[in-house]
Amino acid sequence: MSSELMIQTQDLTKSYGSFTAVDRISFEVRRGEIVGFLGPNGAGKSTTMRILTCYLAPTGGTARVNGKDVFSDTLGVRQSLGYLPQRAPLYLDMSVLEYLQFAADLRELDASTFKKRARNVVEVCGLAQVLGKEISELSHGYRQRVGLAQALIHDPPILILDEPTSDLDPNEKTEFLEYLKRIGQERTVLLSTHNLSEVEAACARAIIVSRGRVVADGALSDIRARSGSVSTSIMVAAENMSGSSVSQVEIKSALDALKGVSKVEAPPSNGQAYRYELATPQDVDLRADLYRLAVQKGWVLLELVRASQALEDVFRDLTLGDERKNREISAA
Amino acid sequence: MSSKVITIAKRELRSYFDSLVAYVVVGGSMLGLGIWFFLMQQGGFWQIDRASLGRMFDFLPWALSAMVLPLVTMRSLAEEKRTGTLELLITMPVTDADVILGKYLAALGLVAVLLLATFLYPVALFVFPWHLGALDWGPLVSGYVGTLLLSAAGLGVGLAFSAVSDSQIVAFFFTALTLIFLHVVGNVVELVHGPVADVISFVSFQTRFAPFARGLIDMRAVVYFLSVTALSLLFAFRSLESRKWN
Repeated sequence: MSSELMIQTQDLTKSYGSFTAVDRISFEVRRGEIVGFLGPNGAGKSTTMRILTCYLAPTGGTARVNGKDVFSDTLGVRQSLGYLPQRAPLYLDMSVLEYLQFAADLRELDASTFKKRARNVVEVCGLAQVLGKEISELSHGYRQRVGLAQALIHDPPILILDEPTSDLDPNEKTEFLEYLKRIGQERTVLLSTHNLSEVEAACARAIIVSRGRVVADGALSDIRARSGSVSTSIMVAAENMSGSSVSQVEIKSALDALKGVSKVEAPPSNGQAYRYELATPQDVDLRADLYRLAVQKGWVLLELVRASQALEDVFRDLTLGDERKNREISAA
Repeated sequence: MSSKVITIAKRELRSYFDSLVAYVVVGGSMLGLGIWFFLMQQGGFWQIDRASLGRMFDFLPWALSAMVLPLVTMRSLAEEKRTGTLELLITMPVTDADVILGKYLAALGLVAVLLLATFLYPVALFVFPWHLGALDWGPLVSGYVGTLLLSAAGLGVGLAFSAVSDSQIVAFFFTALTLIFLHVVGNVVELVHGPVADVISFVSFQTRFAPFARGLIDMRAVVYFLSVTALSLLFAFRSLESRKWN
């Protein structure tokens, strides 16, 4: 069961005239997976999702959702998924309950199923307090919850969520991701975002797109490993153990001299302590050497952390071209 | 007809009555009709001393074409495209035809409510509380049939403009201008001759509508209005579908 392919795209392409928004994207998502769909703005995330939900037609390639083709069986595809578009565009003149009823009617749920499902989604999306309120009166966070509720009302095997957390406050975000992990166990979730910490919190796997192409696809740990370097951070007090002040130049040159260090960076300090970031290859662990060095020099060691490579850095490396392109004015 | 069409039409109709649209349309039309009926044109209804409601059908096609029909259809698709709600609607398991038909039926329903309200005139004047004489009900019924057909065609045109535009205002003006043009173009018939005159009297809503007000149900006109409706809806459907390719 767990190997069942729920979303499958092959060379999916969407061009608008000479502009290619999605460029031969291929990936697969299986049952029970929560996949983060990452990329800078304009990388083609929303376009891909709109093709998967049959809002747009691809100009090339194929996509299958729940085994159904987005081209020939659009109703079948839409029946098997719940979709939350960016910024949750809902009918503002309806109350929350009316909206859920409307979504259920279009999905042809009978009254008793609706009752059961509605109770369930109201509970998990935290909507009990606002059921009778008009959607226009709700905050963006609540609107997003209503958007999620309508996507879940028919208990779909596949959820496609386009930046579902963009309007949530930090508490709501945490709750939402917790919930997502819970429902993701028996479902398939494709979730787009540019917030990397969210991906780390909820997804085991990420697909990174840049300029319409997939630039990375795999387990988060594998993607992280791709950059190949690790950063170690150290903080030293401005006064050493004997009470005299330490010179920054001295610390810097001692750190530079350590074996395996490829780069030392010194972020601005407040004058009471100095922080340094040391980049090393992945197989080097500096912590023991740093401790010995501090003892030997009489430094007061305030902090010593070996950071696992931040996903942010990998993301930046992989998608940097996008931003550079935005800032260049071509001759044309 | 699928139940999804009904669901969409119900929602649409509710939203007409939740917003001001329905009240403005029905209230405004009744007010306009009242002013026209009792005060304008040769001194108004009481002065002409005739048991006829013909003047009602001088007013209704005009008011419908220039104001009511464009007002009713302008939001239908244009507003949903602008706010993005169309994306959520269309990614539900509904067909594009369900969406178009649902919206069309709701608009037609609202106009039907308006026409029903104007029925107060014949009832109040000739049945209760006043009995001003024996009304010839034939032309009244055929007049209503004609008005409904004209509305059906006009709403189709309005929905088509709403489908190609992102702005309700643009949709309103294009619909109003088109319908006014289709209406007044009939006046030109007397000034031109030959095939041009034939074409004009063929497309003119006014020329097509005239027999209904006199008590005739002209089958060619029925077919004409229904054809305009069908073509417009097909156009709206194609335009909605074209989002996929552009």
